[in-house]
Amino acid sequence: MRYQATILIELKEGILDPQGRAVEGVLKGLGHEVEAVRVGKVLEVVFPASGEAEAREKAQAMARLLANPVMETWTLEALKPL
Amino acid sequence: MRWAIVRFPGSNCDEDARFAFERAGMEAEFVWHTERELKGFDGVFLPGGFSYGDYLRAGALAAKSPIMEEVRRFAREGRYVIGVCNGFQVLTEAGLLPGALLANLNLHFTCKWVGVRVERNDLPFTRRYEKGQVLRLPIAHAEGRYYADPETLSRLEGEGLILFRYAPLKGEEDYNPNGSLLDIAGIVNEGGNVLGMMPHPERAVDEVLGGTDGLPLFLGLKEGR
Repeated sequence: MRYQATILIELKEGILDPQGRAVEGVLKGLGHEVEAVRVGKVLEVVFPASGEAEAREKAQAMARLLANPVMETWTLEALKPL
Repeated sequence: MRWAIVRFPGSNCDEDARFAFERAGMEAEFVWHTERELKGFDGVFLPGGFSYGDYLRAGALAAKSPIMEEVRRFAREGRYVIGVCNGFQVLTEAGLLPGALLANLNLHFTCKWVGVRVERNDLPFTRRYEKGQVLRLPIAHAEGRYYADPETLSRLEGEGLILFRYAPLKGEEDYNPNGSLLDIAGIVNEGGNVLGMMPHPERAVDEVLGGTDGLPLFLGLKEGR
């Protein structure tokens, strides 16, 4: 079977995110009421797995490898069979 | 002394590094990042550039290259490992140095000459400098804001692992070009054999390049331990 994992990688809370600040400034400039913006990354990974349990394990292993624990957190946002 | 300069897809300060090593009277050879062995080399240099186009994060994908296992061995064995700019990013991503390099606070790719203070001169990298000397070195990066958690920062400070800090050249107040915590421009590991720094000493080894303050770093290495 094939699965698609959606992995969200974000800067840890408390780390200043200048990209988010820039986006926030533009949104505010366009008249939107915005409290804060954080910019993260979404990775969609397609891979083979025998079932959901194995797919989850594989996706988590890849997420741990791809996020930098010094400054980032990761979340497995979605996992779906294709 | 013979140096390996690792080339990743996107490295662009490799030639500058070789020029600097040769200018200091050492040998240097290029090694492609898919190699797994570094035989006959005394040290390894990870050059600046944009490995893998800085995709995912600067240095993140290069840090997973096959050659990095061998770089780890060099570090463990106490041999010299130097990462400059993108090379520094690779070393932190590989876990060979603590912390991380984040986007510059001003969000600009910043390319200019800055002041860099030498914090200690008892290591081969800095033995040719005076302690407290402020060097004039070029920087060229978008992700050079040194970040580490408070515990790591106090360990770096307490153990004297901060080798270079941004400092005013002419008394200017706004001398930190990227928002690095503690004005950190370069750090070493506990063994004092792994150096990571954002400024480019290899681009300051001849007057024709605009300055020579980087040359003593290479001359100091030539003298060995």
